[in-house]
Amino acid sequence: MTGPMHPITEEDLHAYVDGLLDEARRAVVEAYLEAHPETAERIEAYARQRAGLRELFPDRSSDPLPSQLIFSRLAEERLRQRRRPWAAIAATIAALAVGGTGGWFLGSRPPGGIAAFTQEAAASYQVYAVDKRRPVELSAAQESELRRWLSNRLNRPVVVPDLDATGYQLLGGRLVASEHGPAALLVYENAAGTRLTIYLRPIAADSPSPIVPIDIGAIDGCAWIDRSIGYSLIAAEPYAKLLELSRYVRQEVRSSG
Amino acid sequence: MFSEIEACIPALRRYASALLRNGQDVDDLVHDCLIRALDKLPTRRGDEDIRAWLFTIMHNLFVSQRRRASVRPDTESLDEQDGVPTGIPGGQEDAMRWRELMREVNRLPEEQRATILLIALGELSYNEAARVLGVPVGTVMSRLFRARERLRQATTGQMITGQQGGNLRRVK
Repeated sequence: MTGPMHPITEEDLHAYVDGLLDEARRAVVEAYLEAHPETAERIEAYARQRAGLRELFPDRSSDPLPSQLIFSRLAEERLRQRRRPWAAIAATIAALAVGGTGGWFLGSRPPGGIAAFTQEAAASYQVYAVDKRRPVELSAAQESELRRWLSNRLNRPVVVPDLDATGYQLLGGRLVASEHGPAALLVYENAAGTRLTIYLRPIAADSPSPIVPIDIGAIDGCAWIDRSIGYSLIAAEPYAKLLELSRYVRQEVRSSG
Repeated sequence: MFSEIEACIPALRRYASALLRNGQDVDDLVHDCLIRALDKLPTRRGDEDIRAWLFTIMHNLFVSQRRRASVRPDTESLDEQDGVPTGIPGGQEDAMRWRELMREVNRLPEEQRATILLIALGELSYNEAARVLGVPVGTVMSRLFRARERLRQATTGQMITGQQGGNLRRVK
């Protein structure tokens, strides 16, 4: 970069107008302009142009966005309508969910990201959902105790969504272990005996993610992040149905949270 | 990543509203940009600045739309409202001055126009602007120099500073 002692260039003068100079260089340019009123007048005119454009097209950050520009919605719709190979979709999810500096690169695994999260969810489903006799530790009859227990252990309010309207009834839930600490598993069942699990735990993410499909071997489900909790819903249902159920769950959780 | 992209949306709208002339086109362009960004996200280079990346996508969409439409903006026939957003803040005098400014901006060659708007509204460094516009930084600089000087020449005489009556000062 140019040090403070370099001669003033035309680029410096424009960078001054655009607020792109560091403090030291700005002081040098200001001193130069003091000494050169003709140039100063020209630069003032440029600054007025810039200010005029910025007033003509003001920053509207605080205005609500039209629905077509709500990014989470776009992401959700895009992933749904696009029947791309799962790997590519997973890459999009990971890129969105992991965030932070540098993001996540194709070919490397995100350490604590949603890919790991969905693995845990699938493992819990495989172990507990198939257990005909004892899928849960606390049954639906002890729902308030279950909710208190999970909320205490996860250290945040856990909502046990009511899915009766979808045909799935709560069997109960349990605490499960994950590498990232305690997680909760809720198990539901419909009249046909199909089991559905909701796996959730706190997840480091600075913003909600859309509902996205997950595909782990033969297991299909959906995952999303809402208020720094990761959710994964898994059941032997077609994908469209899983998405609908996930939306319902997310709505239930939001309205009771 | 998600929130970083979201945080750029107002700035994208701001630049798009200056590039284009009507509100619906603006949000359509930003919408298309976000959809394109979603598709490109998995292959995005991790070290690339998100803001510059999004502006690049949007700028390229704008250029190809423009090319497809093959009708260049009819800058000569711009009447008073064209290209000037409604509800301009400030008094009558400011409004006139800005209208004049915008008319001159719209008369600039397209590359100069895009450059000066991007620099004024995009909050990008010159290097980032060069990436967005797909040209060397030297080209950005010379476009900017020429655009600003041309605007200054064109608006000299109309540009009056000093707001209080009796304190009007003509700028050269």
